[in-house]
Amino acid sequence: MSTEPEVATDAPQASALMRVSSDKISRLMDLVGELSLSVSETVNSPELQGLELNSFDAAAHRLSMIVREVQDAATDLRLVSVDEVFKRLRRMIREMERETGKSINLVIEGGDTAIDKLVSDRLYDPLLHVLRNAADHGLEGPEEREANGKNRKGRITLGAAQVGSEVRIMVSDDGRGLNHERILKKAREKGLFGPDEVPEPAVLNKVIFEPGFSTAENVSKLSGRGVGMDVLNQTMKELRGRITVDSAEGKGTDVALHIPVSLAFLDCIILRLGSRMFAIPVDDIAEIVKPNSQDLVEISADSGAEMMRLRGAFVRVCRLEHFYEEDDSDLRPLSDMVTIVFKTTTGQIAVPVDEVLDRQQVVMKPMVGALANVRASWGCALLGTGEVAVVLDGERLSQGGAS
Amino acid sequence: MNEAVAREAANEADEVRTVEDDNIDDMYLTFKVGDEDYGVVISVVTEIVGMQRIMGIPDVPAYIKGVINLRGKVIPLMDVRLRFNMPEREYDERTVVIVLDVGEAPMGLIVDRVSEVLEIPASQIDRTNNGPANSRRSVVSGLGRIDERVAILLDENLLVSDSDVSLAVEVDA
Repeated sequence: MSTEPEVATDAPQASALMRVSSDKISRLMDLVGELSLSVSETVNSPELQGLELNSFDAAAHRLSMIVREVQDAATDLRLVSVDEVFKRLRRMIREMERETGKSINLVIEGGDTAIDKLVSDRLYDPLLHVLRNAADHGLEGPEEREANGKNRKGRITLGAAQVGSEVRIMVSDDGRGLNHERILKKAREKGLFGPDEVPEPAVLNKVIFEPGFSTAENVSKLSGRGVGMDVLNQTMKELRGRITVDSAEGKGTDVALHIPVSLAFLDCIILRLGSRMFAIPVDDIAEIVKPNSQDLVEISADSGAEMMRLRGAFVRVCRLEHFYEEDDSDLRPLSDMVTIVFKTTTGQIAVPVDEVLDRQQVVMKPMVGALANVRASWGCALLGTGEVAVVLDGERLSQGGAS
Repeated sequence: MNEAVAREAANEADEVRTVEDDNIDDMYLTFKVGDEDYGVVISVVTEIVGMQRIMGIPDVPAYIKGVINLRGKVIPLMDVRLRFNMPEREYDERTVVIVLDVGEAPMGLIVDRVSEVLEIPASQIDRTNNGPANSRRSVVSGLGRIDERVAILLDENLLVSDSDVSLAVEVDA
């Protein structure tokens, strides 16, 4: 059997590039994932427990290190620069100028930032919507800008940077900023807040990404129909990303998309609660705390809500049994448990578990079929032991049980 | 590999497949739940495995007992007894998992035991879900007559969906 090599070999220079189909790379990634699992399974085999195996342990350690490196190298294969997407978006700016009658100066920063090809392929549509939103709603018309002492030409910055294991993509404009009053009025009309509720500015900023939410009174050809934001939300959910919005009235709006660099492996802390295993991405964890009983408060007036004092401030305790609306007649007291403190955009929450087991690079599997409706989860993690853990999404846990 | 041999082997495999293709839609894997015989069409069955360690998952219906890791694939397991509101029973050495692939998603059925693969031609199947009072689609697609016995044939799409199946079982129980 012979397969046609897809590699052009007529350029034998050391730095020559190869064209390889993404299917082949995906296959390699899958195999590396399985390899890593099998190695862990072998090394952690219960049959080895209690045996004196000095040279085996050393060899196993070396093997695990190599597998880790192979994993990193394989992940690296799929990384491309975000510039490809940015260039496509730049071409759209002229069209936006024509449609809005505004002149726009697009500044690109950090175009050489590396990102998973699978992510990069999905970024164009959501980013286009964010850009359109900035061009349409963010930037003022030339006259208004001049009257406010700004350059007639509006500026939009499209930037990317790697921060830890996350890529941050920013779309910033120097336009009018978000009008909190108008957003709040609209949000109340849509029933997102009660008439007397006054949400934090950070919470209010995020409302513009709620499905079907659009404050633009004039629906333009470009945006204002609230559909684009749904695309953005859906894509970000699938890419395990987060959106943050920052805005100053009169100065402009910054929208940041935080996306993991690689989708295949995830650095997680593995936990046990009852008979179940959970995994939490290391980057989402602020700290792991064993609470003292004097730091715990139970508020009967708030249907038994529990709070935990952490460095002087109170953090809301989110029990998974409550979140998933399960039998809660047999809850252990918090002082017997370990709590994982999540960082979320709406503040910290503490999730109590029975035991913290390990830190592992896990292989992620999407939740499909019967598991598709499991809330506040990124997917399943296959652990080195062959066990399966549910990967928790702190952001959605903090938003409460309502899906 | 010797190409001629390979080609011959491939041809042979093709022939076997053609024979199977002729009647694979009439082939059913039958299994026992309690005293009842059930059947699913063989084309959606990917494999049958013994009971293994189940890992619990939150936020799923009670009849989804959890998941297993089958060679790197995460497969949710449905306890067919619980799905049909039958009394739960402890798993024993004859308990097996029938792995189905329905609509791109895998699902394992926990059943008391598997029986055999039977050919049940359409002429021997009585459709049950055309009664006027039965407005909901039933998870039972038909009753297959095999000599003296009856196999309750299941609609695999409805079986793995979330819809309530209690009615279907009352009709047939």
